[in-house]
Amino acid sequence: MGAARPSGAGTRRTRQRNHTLWFWTFVGPFVAGLTLFTYVPLAWSVYLSFFDAHNTVSPTEFTGLGNYTAMLGDGAFRSSLVTFAVFTAFIVPTTYVLALGLALAVNRLRAGRAFFRSVFFLPAACSYVVAAMIWKLSVFNGVRFGLANTVLGWFGAEPVAWLSATDPPWYWLVIVTVRLWLQTGFYMLLFLAGLQRVPVRLYEAAALDGARPGWQTFRHITFPALRATSVAVVLLLVVNAFQAFDEFYNLLSGTRGYPPYARPPLVYLYYTALGQGQDLGLGSAGAVILALVILVVTVVQARWTGLGRTEE
Amino acid sequence: MEDALVRAGRALRLVLLIALAVLFLIPFYLLVRNGLSSEAEITAPGWTLFPRRPHFSNVRELFTDPDVPMAHALLNSSLIAVATTAGTLLLASLAGYGLARIPYRHANAVFYAVVGTLMVPAAVTFVPSFVLVSSLGWVSTLRGLIVPTLFSAFACFVFRQYFLGFPRELEDAAQVDGLGYWRTYWRVVVPNSRPVFAAVGTIVFIGAWNSFLWPLVIGQGRSSWTVQVALSTFTTAQTVNLHELFVAAAVSIVPLLLVFVLLQRYIVAGVERSGIDD
Amino acid sequence: MPISRRQLMAAGAGLAAAGGLPTACGSDTGRADGGSGPRLSQWYHQYGEPGTRQAVERYAAAYRKARVRVEWRPGNYDQQTAAALLGSSGPDVFEVNGPTIEQIQGGQVADLTELIKDVKDDFHPAVLAPKTYEGRVWGIPQLVDTQLLYYRKSLLRAAGLRPPATLDALIDAARELTTKRAKGLFLGNDGGASALAGTPLYAAGLSLVTPGGTVGFDEPAAARTLGKLHRLYADKSLLLGAPTDWANPAAFAQGLTAMQWCGLWALPQIAKALGDDFGVLPFPPDGPAGRPAVPVGAWTAAVSARGGHREAAEAFVRWLWIERTDLQKDFALSYGFHIPARASLAATADRLRQGAAAEAVRFTEEHGFAQPLLWTAASQTAYLDALNRVIKEGADPGAQLRAVVRTAGAELRRVQKRR
Repeated sequence: MGAARPSGAGTRRTRQRNHTLWFWTFVGPFVAGLTLFTYVPLAWSVYLSFFDAHNTVSPTEFTGLGNYTAMLGDGAFRSSLVTFAVFTAFIVPTTYVLALGLALAVNRLRAGRAFFRSVFFLPAACSYVVAAMIWKLSVFNGVRFGLANTVLGWFGAEPVAWLSATDPPWYWLVIVTVRLWLQTGFYMLLFLAGLQRVPVRLYEAAALDGARPGWQTFRHITFPALRATSVAVVLLLVVNAFQAFDEFYNLLSGTRGYPPYARPPLVYLYYTALGQGQDLGLGSAGAVILALVILVVTVVQARWTGLGRTEE
Repeated sequence: MEDALVRAGRALRLVLLIALAVLFLIPFYLLVRNGLSSEAEITAPGWTLFPRRPHFSNVRELFTDPDVPMAHALLNSSLIAVATTAGTLLLASLAGYGLARIPYRHANAVFYAVVGTLMVPAAVTFVPSFVLVSSLGWVSTLRGLIVPTLFSAFACFVFRQYFLGFPRELEDAAQVDGLGYWRTYWRVVVPNSRPVFAAVGTIVFIGAWNSFLWPLVIGQGRSSWTVQVALSTFTTAQTVNLHELFVAAAVSIVPLLLVFVLLQRYIVAGVERSGIDD
Repeated sequence: MPISRRQLMAAGAGLAAAGGLPTACGSDTGRADGGSGPRLSQWYHQYGEPGTRQAVERYAAAYRKARVRVEWRPGNYDQQTAAALLGSSGPDVFEVNGPTIEQIQGGQVADLTELIKDVKDDFHPAVLAPKTYEGRVWGIPQLVDTQLLYYRKSLLRAAGLRPPATLDALIDAARELTTKRAKGLFLGNDGGASALAGTPLYAAGLSLVTPGGTVGFDEPAAARTLGKLHRLYADKSLLLGAPTDWANPAAFAQGLTAMQWCGLWALPQIAKALGDDFGVLPFPPDGPAGRPAVPVGAWTAAVSARGGHREAAEAFVRWLWIERTDLQKDFALSYGFHIPARASLAATADRLRQGAAAEAVRFTEEHGFAQPLLWTAASQTAYLDALNRVIKEGADPGAQLRAVVRTAGAELRRVQKRR
């Protein structure tokens, strides 16, 4: 590979064949599995979305774009898409700033770095089920023995029904804090890794130019150097925000349903189509729309921030 | 003057960090506190910082509950998580290396096809996946629980990014020695890439340990329950016994915390060198 | 109304222990593969009451003509069965809240009319109706569950109140009973939408679906009744954010609320906590055409049409849920607290003949209604969304209901279109 130059056309072709063979030896098993267990079901879903597929995965009644127009005409689905666009617009910058802030602070510590790093990363080990349980039953339950209400009680305030109150919508506080707790540490770790790769000479040069440590250095040196990391973090955050399901489901679903607020698109699809009421055609159409939204947002974002450039 | 300012800033930063660290640790504290309390202590109006006499009997109660085979579930989860992690690391690292290093005309197309699947919510493909696996006759089998989850696009992506930055000189030396891709990979690349394997392995292990819906639907029968399934029995059907619920939750995350503490050094080093973020 | 107890279940632990010995039990091995013949897989959702799993495994082991393996499923049971019925590896026999209209129309469940025909009249008609489609029966009810309004006698007496006999009286009572220490009424942590669902409509003399298969609440009375529910919320009479939801009696038993909407299954626990300081009521009527409303539901035995041993499975269902009345009674009464699905068994149940339990049985017989078969998941979601907005945001009930009528109307046309 690059070491010896192929001497003739024939050898080159053999080499190429060899490369192709080796490529598929390495990549083949993975791609075969991915095809079977991801692409086949995916194609199947897309196929279903063009049919009336109630309680069946081998439908016969072709309905064209009927499911898509029905889904797009459904106010509840549209409003959940809008809600989640807003949610994404909030949670992505918040997580980003918090994770970056923690990374910068931890990075500059002289002692106890490993300790703080672990503390902030530890929540990543918790499942959404466990986290939602702690939040719902212990931190933010609506009665007097919840932690948040206990603290309020110290100041003489009335208990708040955190997850039930719609005015003001306290449930967002619960949802946002659980998500921040679960995922900030992971992104902090990515930023920490990014910081290790900023060449020291950049800082030295900046100091020579008279840049003061602190904001100026950050603004002109650190932040630009973290661009690649930032792009990846934002990408992952956006994809995750639109695919939100677990903590919402575990926090807000009741015995029989889910309230019409803070309802992620996937939760809505789950209740109307993909869960018990198996309108698989309609559900698949909704899911395809959602996947397209995610794709468009990511591609636009990648163009805008230049994710592609690092490929070269 | 400047010095005092810098020092004050540093102190402030430390105070902030400590405050945040305390906040981040509170949920763990609640797990342990509630798990070792009696039901009455949890629901008492005044806050008790910690039960005066911790009810360690809650743990015993959990492991002797006739309806929830907790010990067996821990074993199942360990087995599944280890097998999934090993399989994923093997498949994804090979693929990542191939994509990063072996010249092939359509390598980029293959790469985008892999990464594209990250955009697709798992819920979309859940029902067809289930039908597929069930038509393979894999329901209630270990391979049904493990094999379909082995093909992680995320892991493949990370490995590919990492191998792009792997020092070429090492490989070139191996090639000169007449080793092909295969032997270069095993003798040179893998031994020099332990941190990234540790990092990806941890992430995959956490995912496998915490996954719920797939093991629930595929693993039929109590003998194939995983920890998450066992845990869900406390939240879904019985009278909510808060202490039992919390002690079960605490037990369910202990193995992960162990993995974390033991591997954390490698994880950080791995992320730093992996280029997850490039 | 499918009484979905999968999320939170109140265990009838108190009396279950004293609930008597399992009556008949052919084999004492306790193993689930007692018989010979084909292998059958039978699914149950996870009941909370201790001893239920052991009981159903005993029943299975006692069957001689097939080897029946019991699967005990935690988690979201409806979704699991729905997914399993699509594949080839699902259960042969399973209990279900439905079967749903789509499962019946899609040919996923077997026609059980022949099994039940001789004893059909013994089943509570309100319960059997949603299992019946075009004159055929698609599931055998295993037991009946019902929901009621529990109230603390002493608290009402202290406030000089009589048990509320109308919705207006209930709203007033809830306000009067709200104090600094406790709330007047608990309808679930979402303010009541999911716990009550269609109940207020029936209390207004309406229904979700008419016998003719059209929307049953396209009337001004519907908006008027639902609108009143917002007052409960606006008065701050409702308990919200309790650690357990409405299906669990803890909030009522702990004195966090003076009244609670809960299931019959909670009665033993409540009796244990409060002695006889409690009573039960149906959901009170509203308006001139109003009548008390008591939702009933039934876990139902169904046979998968795709299972490999359909005939053996049907034979097993006939044996367990038609012939073995002793086991049926044991199942309904010895662990949790339910009403046997068959009138002849309910009549012989001593536990159902005294006090609040007897009242509950009477209410169920007189005022019981079940969620209609034609009421689909999409209709339910649209309706609950509307009800939630009406209760919590004070949204205009008329406008909200018009949207539901559109959705439900389309759903009703859809499920009745295909023959």
